[in-house]
Amino acid sequence: MSFTENIEKQFAEVSNSNVVDLRRSAFTAFEKLGIPTSRHEEWKYTNIKTKLNEDISLAPADSQVNAAVKNYIASLPPYAFRIIFLNGVFHPELSIVPDINGLTICSLKDAFTSHSTLVETYFGKLVNYNEEHFAALNTAFVNDGAFIHVQKNVVVKEPIYIQYFFTASDVNAFTQTRNLVIVEESASIELAEDFRNASNIMVQYNHVSEMYIGKNANLDVVKLQLELNNAIGIHTLESQVERDGKFSAATITFASPNTGTGKPLIRNNVTARLVGQNAHADLNGLYFGKENAHIDNHILVDHVAPNCTSNQLYKGVLNGESVGVFNGKIFVKSDAQKTNAFQSSKALLLSNDASINSKPQLEIFADDVKCSHGATVGQLDENALFYLRARGITKFEAVQILTYAFAHEVIDHVHSKPIRQFLCDKLKDELKVNF
Amino acid sequence: MLSIKNLNVGIAEKQILKDFNLEIKRGEVHAIMGPNGTGKSTLASTLAGKEDYEVLSGEVIFNGKNLLEMSADERAREGVFLAFQYPVEIPGVSTTNFMKAAVNAKRKHHGLEPMDAKDFLKLMKEKLALVEMNKEFTSRSINEGFSGGEKKRNEIFQMAMLEPTLCLLDETDSGLDIDALRIVANGVNQLKSKERSFLVITHYQRLLNYIVPDFVHVMYGGRIVKSGGKELALKLEEQGYDWIKEEVGELAN
Repeated sequence: MSFTENIEKQFAEVSNSNVVDLRRSAFTAFEKLGIPTSRHEEWKYTNIKTKLNEDISLAPADSQVNAAVKNYIASLPPYAFRIIFLNGVFHPELSIVPDINGLTICSLKDAFTSHSTLVETYFGKLVNYNEEHFAALNTAFVNDGAFIHVQKNVVVKEPIYIQYFFTASDVNAFTQTRNLVIVEESASIELAEDFRNASNIMVQYNHVSEMYIGKNANLDVVKLQLELNNAIGIHTLESQVERDGKFSAATITFASPNTGTGKPLIRNNVTARLVGQNAHADLNGLYFGKENAHIDNHILVDHVAPNCTSNQLYKGVLNGESVGVFNGKIFVKSDAQKTNAFQSSKALLLSNDASINSKPQLEIFADDVKCSHGATVGQLDENALFYLRARGITKFEAVQILTYAFAHEVIDHVHSKPIRQFLCDKLKDELKVNF
Repeated sequence: MLSIKNLNVGIAEKQILKDFNLEIKRGEVHAIMGPNGTGKSTLASTLAGKEDYEVLSGEVIFNGKNLLEMSADERAREGVFLAFQYPVEIPGVSTTNFMKAAVNAKRKHHGLEPMDAKDFLKLMKEKLALVEMNKEFTSRSINEGFSGGEKKRNEIFQMAMLEPTLCLLDETDSGLDIDALRIVANGVNQLKSKERSFLVITHYQRLLNYIVPDFVHVMYGGRIVKSGGKELALKLEEQGYDWIKEEVGELAN
């Protein structure tokens, strides 16, 4: 069976489930787009087509909790709110859903019927499935994910973890997951989107999040991609920020493959559209690549309205033969006067075989704006290394300490204190720094 | 404690130290003076183990061990301390964490357990007082945004924390106003002991009013050309280096 026949057959099975019209349009778009090759400008340095299995299976492959998942859940603080999915299927018995007035959290599958008005208004509206291959595929085949709706003026203080575990053994599975987050006027919430590979195979998944930040609302998202081991993961985050709204997204990727089992590949597309005056977006990222890992971050800040501000800070640490890709776009539309946009991309290459492709892209159509960008690629500062060693610290430890210092700046920008602390500990653990 | 014999050192194909000789005994304070570009800082960097400097020949014995065979960090753990002329700013690492790593690296080297947190804080408090620094300094990133004086005080603080047996002070007085100079010198003087030796590199006699040397050496053209007591420093302050250059010239002829 050809790739197309396989996909069409599978689509026939989901096409009448829910959001029928949207699925059909998205599927038609995907049939035209297909899986991108490296000839496509946005996929030039990330050859996804050769990495994905030919015989992909898009239906969720649910399975039971395994020891790795149990251990992880047991290690979470007991009070943490968590929404847990196994292979893309919601598991309410593992989840702790907060019971807060004005906050709705349920599975997207349930929301298609229980919150159909909100779904019709918001679902599929931010993603551009006519151009984005994987957003189209996801929209056509979406099975489940998290639905979060924060009503006007509701401030949620504890962070909520949305966790996707992979435990299945089907190497062809290409799991399609989806989050829809609506934060209404003057409401506020902190989320973590956490992806973990708890299987011993190379997992494949395609995740899409749509996030709406209303007037004067606040949304902090941390994307945790720390325990993926071997994965082909594609993430798309589309956000829209209204007047006086604040959005921050930090994407933290530690790609360290289990030796000899293929090349892991993580692609993150993160977009913030600032559509109301005085809106603000912080898009930050930290990525660690080891061995033959491939990590690609594509960021877009679209300044549509005037007087908005945005910051992008991306830092990468690349070891082994790992490859990093950074593409940071800033669009300033003609109405977006008094825009203040800043971008910085820094990569540390710790081995001779590691590499980074870094491309800033600024398209400015307004005349009264402040935009700046900077990209650096380099090694650790020799003078700093010598300074540490001159105090008795071994070369190995000095490298770890300076790498920690380099990376820590991104974690410092994470607003949620418990998540920041968790990341700080994780970073120390990763770098074996014990202070 | 330190014996340097016929040391020849170059950097980037240029020879800087030429048959350099120096003996320092336990508890002595030696000062090295000399005009710019005569190799004073090269000497300090070479002893501390900076890899840019290439040792062409000669030997350096420190407490009975071959210093030149040790890496920079090993030298530090063995008791060599270099107070930098230009201390490095390291954003993202607090002085506390830096010192914790350094103190414990040294303890591990000598077969000791890491210091417990309470004892470490006590030690820091005690050593901070030596250089009149307050606790906030140590929670800031290493030297980041520090004034020249603060940086040099931080060097002496680190020296106090690590309790070296050989202290190399590379132009510690440069860029200091008179108050900072007094604080830094006071810190050094309190660290003087029978077991600890100092090599003070300076352009100016001023520092030697505070840190009184047992011996003063004048470096010129990559070697020591004159040695004497503290009065030699005063003569240099009054008369400059020209008479030294003349003497050396006569010797050469």
